[in-house]
Amino acid sequence: MIAPKEEKEMAMIEFKNVEKYYDKFHALKNINLKVDKGEVVVVIGPSGSGKSTLIRTINGLEDFTEGQLLVNDYDLADSKTDLNQIRKDVGMVFQHFNLYDNKTVLENIMLAPKLVLKRDPKENKELAMRLLKSVGVADKAESYPRQLSGGQKQRVAIARSLAMKPKALLFDEPTSALDPEMIDDVLNVMKKIATEGMTMVVVTHEMGFAREVADRVIFIDNGEILEDEKADVFFKAPKEKRAQQFLSKIIKH
Amino acid sequence: MRKLKPILILLGMLLLTLSLGACSNEKSTQQNALKRSQASNTLTWGVKADTRLFGLMDIKSGTIKGFDIDMGKEITKRVLGKKGHAKFVQVTSKTRIPLLKNGNIDAIIATMTITPDREKIVDFSNVYFAAGQSLLVKRGSSIKNVRDLNKDGMTVLAVKGSTSAVNVKKYAPKAKVLELEDYAQAFTALKSGQGDAMTTDNGILFGVASENPAYHVVGGTFTNEPYGIAVDKNQTQLKNKIDKALADMRKDGTYQRLLQKWFGNVAGFDLKEASQQ
Amino acid sequence: MINVFMQHWQELLLGFGNTLLCSVIALFFSLVIGSAFAIFEVLPYKVLHIVGRVYIEVFRNIPLLVIGMFFYVVVPQFFVTLDGFTAGTIGLTLYTSAFIAETVRAGIQAVDDGQMEGARANGMTFMQAMWHIILPQAFRYVIPPLGNQFINLVKNSSVLAFVAGFDLMYQGDAIASTTFDTFNTYIVVGILYLIITLPLSYYMRYLEKKLA
Repeated sequence: MIAPKEEKEMAMIEFKNVEKYYDKFHALKNINLKVDKGEVVVVIGPSGSGKSTLIRTINGLEDFTEGQLLVNDYDLADSKTDLNQIRKDVGMVFQHFNLYDNKTVLENIMLAPKLVLKRDPKENKELAMRLLKSVGVADKAESYPRQLSGGQKQRVAIARSLAMKPKALLFDEPTSALDPEMIDDVLNVMKKIATEGMTMVVVTHEMGFAREVADRVIFIDNGEILEDEKADVFFKAPKEKRAQQFLSKIIKH
Repeated sequence: MRKLKPILILLGMLLLTLSLGACSNEKSTQQNALKRSQASNTLTWGVKADTRLFGLMDIKSGTIKGFDIDMGKEITKRVLGKKGHAKFVQVTSKTRIPLLKNGNIDAIIATMTITPDREKIVDFSNVYFAAGQSLLVKRGSSIKNVRDLNKDGMTVLAVKGSTSAVNVKKYAPKAKVLELEDYAQAFTALKSGQGDAMTTDNGILFGVASENPAYHVVGGTFTNEPYGIAVDKNQTQLKNKIDKALADMRKDGTYQRLLQKWFGNVAGFDLKEASQQ
Repeated sequence: MINVFMQHWQELLLGFGNTLLCSVIALFFSLVIGSAFAIFEVLPYKVLHIVGRVYIEVFRNIPLLVIGMFFYVVVPQFFVTLDGFTAGTIGLTLYTSAFIAETVRAGIQAVDDGQMEGARANGMTFMQAMWHIILPQAFRYVIPPLGNQFINLVKNSSVLAFVAGFDLMYQGDAIASTTFDTFNTYIVVGILYLIITLPLSYYMRYLEKKLA
């Protein structure tokens, strides 16, 4: 009886038979997926396949219809679960950054720790500045989001998530809205976080990143997980035909 | 300072338009009202429409009825001839003088007291109704006369632009006077407990009391409020015609008949006093 | 004109003060109440939607004068006597708050959904996100229409004249009907209103420029 318990403690995120419908549209079909602590999982799939929906159920931005989802030992199927508790520990980085337009870069980073964690102001600012330095935008601390480039915005957004000292980070196509020359800056920051042992779920089209950083690759299409494979195995020879087609298309581009 | 400039220009333009408007108004009132009404065969009267017994809108027929209306009709016939047409325009104590000055109406017969102040801007006919200011209170009220009102904390309800508002301040200077838009509103305010008494001329108060038995007129009259018919300054021809008509009506009994028609059945009302000249 | 002011400056000043006081009180509370109902309308609770809708439609679609009279003569018959100033100010506040609710709601909905999502994903509660992120941005969008509401509010405070609230309009009426100098009296009254509304109008424009 000891072994399964340890296994459970290892899991940061666990989907069990999760189903989701938008009215009649079957968005997620029988999802079973486990992400262990410290693991980096990349989710790929064609657009409209449900990968965004999948990642957004993890922090409760989307609900689901059936099944069980455990995140950091919280049960998302239970209506009594406080989503804010989960979100304290699971940060998210969006395709369109979603920085607070009315706040400076520094305020963007310090706001949630101040309101949610009641962090001491001095400590809060020190950490925020340290994070800004580590993502390379310390000089923009007093700027407003509209004064930043896309790449800078996304790095600030990552710093904002890190400021909550999360146990896991979710990335929803973090580089899709960026100009090509900015993508590497963002990916480099993400790689650095990955090497520091963060649990990460990343929806992306960046196959180079996936190959280099991911422990596992999930291929999803039509709301179904078609492959869940170690990254090196997946990229050598995807089993599924749809995954093969998808890969060949992506790599041609 | 730079920001002030547009404001000043705006204000200047505003004043200019208003003063131009005032000039054109002057002209219209300088016409001879009698000739104008003879030409159109219509005499336009400003009358009350919220005052029972004197001028009250009959909602069913959409016409205004009362002593002032009947008087106006009778005088019109005597001024313009049998086929003369009387037109009635609804006024309030507040609007009647401006409307007369603008030439919107030819004469006012709207429970209007002759006062020296008013005589400076309009001309009055002879007295056609001798009213006096009185008080309306809820039955059982401790207020018996105007002296009872002269205490701190007392509130009297009056109507804007009426002499009664000015008078009551004189007779009960300690009372607070609230001026409302018309008699209906003043009475509603009294019913809502916004004041301890309502004050205006006795004839009007008797009209209110006759419909609302929980209220009664107390203390007799404490002022003389002779009602006159007002015409604009310098409309002497019209004024003389009206005075002649009034005198004739008193002589041939028409006046007494109308007075009896409207006030004959009002309990506590003194017909003799009202018909004094 | 100068004469009217010189002879009646005490009454006019009292009226001016009451109009200003009524406007300030009504402005503050209508902004608070209006914003609250605007938030009701964007919350995901059906009951609150209905409550908000009913409130807004009732107070937006009844003439201000009726609302003012209601508090002046109807409420006292059942609950508590409100003097004219209080009744009129309450009426004006409720009436204006319905319009402000509509304006602010439009502003909230104009803020990109990503702002709320970002804040929620960051661990903030709905109200924290509303207060720190959404409302400040919403107000920036709605400053011009809000400015119009505020100016209307000052002008609409003349409802006090009808419930004996001793405001500028009431005093103007009283002066005009005792002096019969309606022409000059109402010009003076109009100018006194401008003294309140013009700076307000300029301030709102300044705010709009500053925050744009």
